[in-house]
Amino acid sequence: MRLGYLHFPRFPVQRKVIELPELAGRPFVLVEEVRGQQRVACASTSALKAGVRPGMTLTAANALESSLRHFPYRPEEEQRALVGIGEMLMALAPGFQLSAPDGLWFDAGAAHLVKGEEGLCAKVLALCSEQGWRGRVVVASEKFTARALARHGARRMDVVPEGEGAQALAPLPLGALEGPEQTAFAALGLTTLGEVAVLPVGAVTARGGAAGMRAHTRCRGGDETPFIAEVLEEVLEERLTLEWPAESLEPLQFALKTVLDRLCGRLGGRRRAAVRLNLTLKLDPSGQAVVPLTLARPTAQAKMLLELTRHRLSDVRLEGPVAGLLLRVEEDCEDRGQQLALGDAPEGDAALEVVLSRLATALGEDSLFMAALEDTHRPEDAYEARAFRPPPMRRGLEGELLQSVEAAEPVPEVLRERPSRMLGSPTTIDVEMTASGELLAARLGGRRRRVMAMVGPERLSGDWWDARPYSRDYYRVHFEGLGPAWVFRDARDGRFYLQGLFD
Amino acid sequence: MSGTAEKVSVTVEALREQIRRLQAAPRKYLAALRTGVETFDELLPGGGLPLGQVVELWGEAASGRTSLALRAVASAHREGRLCAYVDGPGELYPPAAVAAGVDPARLLIVRPKTAEQLAWSAVQLVRSGAFACVVLDLTRGPAGRSEGGVRLSPAEGKRLMDAAGRGGSLLLLLTAPEAPGDGMMRLRTEARGDAGLSVEVVRSRQGGIGSRTLVPWRALYPELTGGECPWGPELLPAEDVTVPELPRERAPREGHRGILGQRPGRDTPMPSLRPNLDAGAALH
Repeated sequence: MRLGYLHFPRFPVQRKVIELPELAGRPFVLVEEVRGQQRVACASTSALKAGVRPGMTLTAANALESSLRHFPYRPEEEQRALVGIGEMLMALAPGFQLSAPDGLWFDAGAAHLVKGEEGLCAKVLALCSEQGWRGRVVVASEKFTARALARHGARRMDVVPEGEGAQALAPLPLGALEGPEQTAFAALGLTTLGEVAVLPVGAVTARGGAAGMRAHTRCRGGDETPFIAEVLEEVLEERLTLEWPAESLEPLQFALKTVLDRLCGRLGGRRRAAVRLNLTLKLDPSGQAVVPLTLARPTAQAKMLLELTRHRLSDVRLEGPVAGLLLRVEEDCEDRGQQLALGDAPEGDAALEVVLSRLATALGEDSLFMAALEDTHRPEDAYEARAFRPPPMRRGLEGELLQSVEAAEPVPEVLRERPSRMLGSPTTIDVEMTASGELLAARLGGRRRRVMAMVGPERLSGDWWDARPYSRDYYRVHFEGLGPAWVFRDARDGRFYLQGLFD
Repeated sequence: MSGTAEKVSVTVEALREQIRRLQAAPRKYLAALRTGVETFDELLPGGGLPLGQVVELWGEAASGRTSLALRAVASAHREGRLCAYVDGPGELYPPAAVAAGVDPARLLIVRPKTAEQLAWSAVQLVRSGAFACVVLDLTRGPAGRSEGGVRLSPAEGKRLMDAAGRGGSLLLLLTAPEAPGDGMMRLRTEARGDAGLSVEVVRSRQGGIGSRTLVPWRALYPELTGGECPWGPELLPAEDVTVPELPRERAPREGHRGILGQRPGRDTPMPSLRPNLDAGAALH
């Protein structure tokens, strides 16, 4: 089985810089508590240059660099970020396995789809660099070979052909074994994995036992450890705790971008698109605010979601500063992707989302809708308001050159006889009738309007099994100076009502 | 030889210029929306309702304004574009829109709760450029709060015009006779009895002011005027009764008529207005 290993040098530092871009180039450390003492777990490049080393106490590190900033090291957040990257890679690899704290293996079996293993490495690195990660990738046949070369090798991306593992591992230092065995080999005066590999297997087993034999086999390019793909979480959710409570939108934006990038990466890896999201803002010191985000067109584009979220947040009034974010995908669907044509602007969808969100905020969700026809004879109930979800726009060749293949649904005949305007509630009208019951004129809008022509009746009745039965005789009446109107005589009270206008 | 080469280089340069201009211009799929109502399209200077402009349909309550607007929306839907309808009075009847060829999934209906939000919503929709055609219905205020039409302030009119130009969308204003809007092109619609509705260009920058046409009802409501009257050419003979009785259908000539003699389902279209017109006049 061909495997790839993706290693991120000083992963926690990279993550911190992505979350807080202002830290780039500044000295800072991540500290953890060890036996009641604050000790450096990871240091940025400029801190390392100043002499700060992992394992040092925070006091000592501060003495070396006065402008040093420090943040708590949270292993569970590192792991979550790593899982996010793994899920994002699922666009290229069918599965991944975490190698905490700073790397992961992925299945390179689908490399032929992306121009071979070199192409896969390049794509993986490109995908990571889109989100600001700098990594190193090695594809090999054994887990150990891939991991050791990615962590300790000299090249950013490398492909080790089948059976050449030992040769590739030979120049690596003994430290690449990363286990207690390396001290035993170092005691023998060995410095590289190649020197370990040439030792006779019997002698190594006799002295080092099973662990020694395993290390020796690995150095010879023979690792038997199986690849166990991670099980994906059912719920797509990302959270982030801010280092200090954000009082304005500006600092919150960076956090949002991080969270959205990660979430969209995961969605993209699963080939899903978000339909409905919930953004929960944890307030300081207590309380929370939930901002629902509903999309008219499902998407997995972080840029568009960020714009929408930013817009939604600009209208939200919070009772306190924001201490943390939790973004959860409540509903998702399959992502069919979009084919763009030359000159097409994918921003069109973003414009649609933003204007819908703006209107929904100002007018209320119930003021925007699209109509869905209902199968009923009662005219005022003939449609229902639904959330506006337009079908995806056909773009490129599909949209411009090919004729639409979808057959238009036949429109029920009866709809063709309905007026284009329907009054909210039917209004009674005073009518003049002959003794024989012919309609002569009616008072409409304060004026007497003569009836020029009349057609009917069309009797609609029903719902007698319900609480609101109806029985009406509909007439199409052409009033002088007004035009054709839809009038009915209610069987319950015998009065005439104006319900619609054929405008 | 050198002359030919010079000609070629001039042509190439001209073509380059053309390409540059095409690339610089905003992408527009359609220059005008043809409503599909031939007599109406012929009246308009561009052969259709121009995109990126404000066009006003100004007329009485049932003078065909909404139907014409829905035809324009349907024509945009045939191109796969989205449209919006800012429904001030909340009177748009979507089933009729579907019958006019509108795709309900591509039509966003906005029903603001106050009259002040009408123009604002339309500006937002038009300026976004995501909608090919936006209809703003100003014939009455929301939820019957005002009886007359909603009048736009000059500033709002200007804003709408700017937004339409920027978004490249067509904005159709539907206005009542007592409250004309500020459209760049104004079309007066008037119901002309059974013949149809007359449309007249009242204001236009592209010319054609004063020209008018008669759009037959058949073009907007084909089912209403197409069929033959099943009851014959005249209304039923008047009977001398004290209780007002409405004209009823005669006994069915053939087939089952359902309980109480009503027509089965609603599969038969209603008959034409035309044959009854003379009879109606004779009544008075």
